[in-house]
Amino acid sequence: MKHRMMTASVMLAGSLAVFAGPTGPAFAGPDTNILNVGIAAPDAGRLDPHLSATTIDKAVFGWMFNGLVRLKPGTSSPETVEPDLAESWDTSADGLDWTFHLRQGVQCHHGYGELTSADIVYSLNRAADPNRSSFSGDFSVFDKIEAVDPYTVKIVLKNPIPSVLGLLTNYHGGNIVCMKAAEEMGEDFQKRPIGTGPFMYGEYKPQQSLMLVANPDYFRGKPQLDGISYQYVPSDSARDLAFQSGELDMLYGKQDQTWVERTKQVEGAVVHVMEPAEMSVMSLNITSKPLDDIRVRQAIAMAVDREQFMDFKGRDVTRIAKSVVPQGYLGYADMSAVMPKHDIAGAKALLAEAGFPDGVTLKVIHTALPGMLGTMEVFQAQLAEAGIMLDMEVVEHATFHAQIREDLSQIVHYSAARFPVADTYLTQFFHSASIVGTPTGITNFSHCAVADKEIEEARIEQDMEKQKQLWKTAQEKIMAEVCGVPIYENLQIWATKTNLDLGYELIGSLSLGPPVTENTHFIK
Amino acid sequence: MLRFVVRRLIFAIPTLLAVMTMVFVLVRIVPGDPAQTILGDQASAEALQTMRERLGVDRPIIEQYIEFMGGALVGDWGESMVTGKPVLAEIARVLPYTIELTVVSLIIGGLIGIPLGAWSALHRNEWIDYVTRVGSLLGLSFPAFVSAILMLIVFSIQLRWLPVISGGDRSSFGEWARSLALPALNLGLIMAAYITRVTRSSMLGSLGEDYIRTARAKGVPERVVIWRHGMRNALIPVVTVVGLYLGILIGNSVLTEIVFNRPGLGKLIVGALGQRDYTLLQGLMIIYTFVIVIVNLLTDLTYGLIDPRVKYQ
Repeated sequence: MKHRMMTASVMLAGSLAVFAGPTGPAFAGPDTNILNVGIAAPDAGRLDPHLSATTIDKAVFGWMFNGLVRLKPGTSSPETVEPDLAESWDTSADGLDWTFHLRQGVQCHHGYGELTSADIVYSLNRAADPNRSSFSGDFSVFDKIEAVDPYTVKIVLKNPIPSVLGLLTNYHGGNIVCMKAAEEMGEDFQKRPIGTGPFMYGEYKPQQSLMLVANPDYFRGKPQLDGISYQYVPSDSARDLAFQSGELDMLYGKQDQTWVERTKQVEGAVVHVMEPAEMSVMSLNITSKPLDDIRVRQAIAMAVDREQFMDFKGRDVTRIAKSVVPQGYLGYADMSAVMPKHDIAGAKALLAEAGFPDGVTLKVIHTALPGMLGTMEVFQAQLAEAGIMLDMEVVEHATFHAQIREDLSQIVHYSAARFPVADTYLTQFFHSASIVGTPTGITNFSHCAVADKEIEEARIEQDMEKQKQLWKTAQEKIMAEVCGVPIYENLQIWATKTNLDLGYELIGSLSLGPPVTENTHFIK
Repeated sequence: MLRFVVRRLIFAIPTLLAVMTMVFVLVRIVPGDPAQTILGDQASAEALQTMRERLGVDRPIIEQYIEFMGGALVGDWGESMVTGKPVLAEIARVLPYTIELTVVSLIIGGLIGIPLGAWSALHRNEWIDYVTRVGSLLGLSFPAFVSAILMLIVFSIQLRWLPVISGGDRSSFGEWARSLALPALNLGLIMAAYITRVTRSSMLGSLGEDYIRTARAKGVPERVVIWRHGMRNALIPVVTVVGLYLGILIGNSVLTEIVFNRPGLGKLIVGALGQRDYTLLQGLMIIYTFVIVIVNLLTDLTYGLIDPRVKYQ
């Protein structure tokens, strides 16, 4: 009997060993000339550049599409704008008429023919159509888009705006889709998006990967890589291990000091810390009691100890926020001089003056997302020292997004990166039109309305210096009103293997993922 | 027998209808907005409203309910709100991955657990029994995601035998086995721990029965006593437990699928929940319910194979 059982166990162990036995090369990598990228997501969203605004999909659009203009690869500053599909452009003196001269011979992916002015007109109109685009609001200022001839496009604006070229970069609605493909496929376009970029749609495996193949006809030359395998790996540990084992060459990182330090230790790994920054701001609802009293809001601003946040989040991945607009955005102005210093006694005195000698209790709803929750807990502890108690309800992330838009949280902790022009941040977070609960509402949780005039005037101001001055005044007013308390700025973190040459210097990327260009290659 | 199966399936209909109704209501009670997921957080309230209209989630809930039930009954489960792909096709694409993972894990669990449990029972309170009991307790108490990561560190990073990202490659049998090995082993070991414990206690029970003593007294060979009389009677509770546990196993596969990056129902449902993809969630819950119903039916039918006294009426 004993003998039989032993035999069974040995056989079992044997069969398991066969199961686990090596049967061939396990790892993709440089030898295949395919770039393996790991992203923290269970699956792709809608693969239509005019629809999806998620970080997960945006990086892919950056590799597949072009705009009329682009920001120099590896940068995210609007000041580095350079020709892309348009070779040159002219502006009328009043800033209303923009004429773009297109590059000739640009080919759409998969044989959809040459890209001409008709495609540009179609694509921009599509981006401006609320039924087909998530970014239609950005284009409401466009009056007319016309094809003058096959290689000339004229855009007429209703009124001048600061960042026409910003709207026309290969980002969000500025990504140019090919007309024939989009018309032919309709809703199915998102299953096989067609653009003109260095990489084109290959194969999509649900919950696994999106394979992009090199576009042999790319107008800047055939990419040196054969393709990109964009792999959806939701588990943080699995992603890190796959990078370590060599299955991934490029990795979406965590905005976390320990992650950066650990990943730097991985053999042959480089960690990139890049722009644009995502800023953590605490929006204070100025219409709710007791936050309607500015002294209470000032007390909150005083109770915050930003240095402690830096120690908490890590100095390699974060920097102190110095205004209600993140640093590096066009129009950002340093407000540290007007920011109250950390002063618990001062905060308590202000509260007492406002009639709350025993402190106040505020209702807060917060997401369970670990990265954000940690920050809120530190914030809660800091405020508690000054007698400001946060009655915090922690909810799941999608619930959080729904509830903060119903004004259910007196303080909203929001962390976001935007197109790096002061206007986008100021408009979405601090202009009265964006107040949540209104039809035009976006993310103005504070109900702030003190700088509407400056924000609007800056949009149409043609003189760059005056425009910057208006944005500065807007930031001063918002800071003075304490609509929000800026805490810190998180940078974007990615890691690559040292044998990957991106082909440019990586300082920032609007698509939030490192660009992969025709020059990106593996070093043999 | 056939009548029994048909009757059981008919009884399952009210269960399914009740689950469908509950799921329909529950996913909508939870705050959250599929339109927000699709459009991102920079979308204006107007754009969100337009999207909600397109998705049809702004209509009266009764109207949506009737449409959902009507559609579901004729096999039209709608399209995923987030990806726009047909729900049935999305599920059908990943279902085989979950089924193969569950079945292979179950086989591993049975192959290890049943002999080990019996062996342990036969050597009650000897060292081998203690080792097995501690081992199976360890297996039960270990969270699936921790053991999964340990396995990855050992087999993929240290030994470099298997890939970290399993991916469910099916280009050849070798690739298939390689991609299934670690996830199946991970779930299989947990299953084995469970089966070992149940088999052991059930076997101890049956070995103490009068008919065992009678068989031994008659001079029946020990081998026959243990396997035919002891084991066969001990198996009924094991099958019950396995049947019940299969539901849990499918649930456990969520974590395993995520850590090993395998496609599957678990990954789909976690994604759908986070994105408030109502239609996809509804479809998935129906499938889960259906699977549980089928597993229970199969469990009942297995009793007949083990115990000839069981009759289906």
